[in-house]
Amino acid sequence: MSAPNEKSDVHSLIGAYVLDALDDIDRASFDRHLRECESCRLEADELFEVTARLADGAWSVPPPRLRDNVLAEIGKTRQLPPAIPPRAQPRSRRGLRLVAAAAAVVAAVGAGSAVYQIQDQRVRDAQSRLEAAQASEARVRSILGAPDVQTRSEQLKSGGRVTVSSSRLQNAGVIMLAADDAPAAGRVYQMWTIQAGAPASAGALREGQSAAVQVVEGLPAMSNVGITIERAPESATPTAPLDALVNLA
Amino acid sequence: MAERGVGDRPEYLTPVPAPETVPDAGLLLASVARGDEKAFGRLYDLVAPRVYGLVRRVLRDPAQAEEVAQEVLVEVWRTAARWDPDRGSATAWIFMIAHRRAVDRVRAEQAAGDRVARVGAASVDTPYDEVADEVAVRLERQQVRHCLEVLTEVQREAVTLAFYQGHSYPQVSELLRVPLPTVKSRMRDGLIRLRDCLTPEVAA
Repeated sequence: MSAPNEKSDVHSLIGAYVLDALDDIDRASFDRHLRECESCRLEADELFEVTARLADGAWSVPPPRLRDNVLAEIGKTRQLPPAIPPRAQPRSRRGLRLVAAAAAVVAAVGAGSAVYQIQDQRVRDAQSRLEAAQASEARVRSILGAPDVQTRSEQLKSGGRVTVSSSRLQNAGVIMLAADDAPAAGRVYQMWTIQAGAPASAGALREGQSAAVQVVEGLPAMSNVGITIERAPESATPTAPLDALVNLA
Repeated sequence: MAERGVGDRPEYLTPVPAPETVPDAGLLLASVARGDEKAFGRLYDLVAPRVYGLVRRVLRDPAQAEEVAQEVLVEVWRTAARWDPDRGSATAWIFMIAHRRAVDRVRAEQAAGDRVARVGAASVDTPYDEVADEVAVRLERQQVRHCLEVLTEVQREAVTLAFYQGHSYPQVSELLRVPLPTVKSRMRDGLIRLRDCLTPEVAA
């Protein structure tokens, strides 16, 4: 719970929040504020009704083909199940840090398409917003903002993208995983660093999770980052074929 | 001891005619959440012009707007079960997704630095757009426009620059040459004043 003055300070952003005028980091902290404050949530919901009226004013006939395209698309799009009230998650193993809010920071290094993927994911995935609240934003920012940061990106064979940013000056890197979908039940995405041919786990996502941002200390000394789909909760060594391999050399 | 007034009563009460007019977005969205594709088609017809119009207003480029509008509408299908009617109307939820998507696209483009390149394409308008502007729901627009006029100039500018043009609040502060805290509070005050002006219609 925030101190009253801190709370009111955050709360003053409510207008900008509802108008989507916040950057990702402010948005994540405001989301956290809303989770802690019932009356603020009510106020935000009310103001969203106001912006809906502003949207009404922007009426324009879409191209006729849009309807066909959308209907064709939903025919092959699986629907999400209803949200189940979140259970308390045990704090993560091995300092696994998941940061959705890093998207804005990634933008600063100019990884345009990857940014969009992650933002996309964030909008879809309320869970990742929840994670963002607990994020170690400062560390991610320092790595992605380093002058020597190098960014590499690969497609996941299962659909989606993994982006690795690494800085020698910071002696650390960030793995950003944005899969199109979570793996089948009982399976999870797992991240690996590979040094001299020997893989070491860099953390696994939870079941049902499709996006993560993971800080890896010492990453510049590694030769590759690999992604596999393993049996939940995680595997000691990679047992499945690589879903993606990012070459750091 | 009641008189037999029954005789004056018709045998059957005439049922109130079912309002065949505008389908309710909330009922449709609830059906969509259960996988009803027909309901989705009707919901599409109800909200697509506003989704497309909003996204287009923010992005300006019609081709890009079409792409983002498609993403938004598919997203509505995909996440329909996540809409919580206790928290707000179906349309507010849909426009929230639409606006956020449009703004995310603006920000991603600004990051990629190719926003300028896109603006050139914005002038290519298709004939149905002109028709649309003619047919547009004038009453609604008048109402919103009237209420926007009730705001102070800074409130109005702060709200519209953010909402219709997708500017972040530091960008708005820069554009209006007004300090950040002032922009924050004008956005909030402006929305509250708008709410008070629009509320009777919301209830109707």
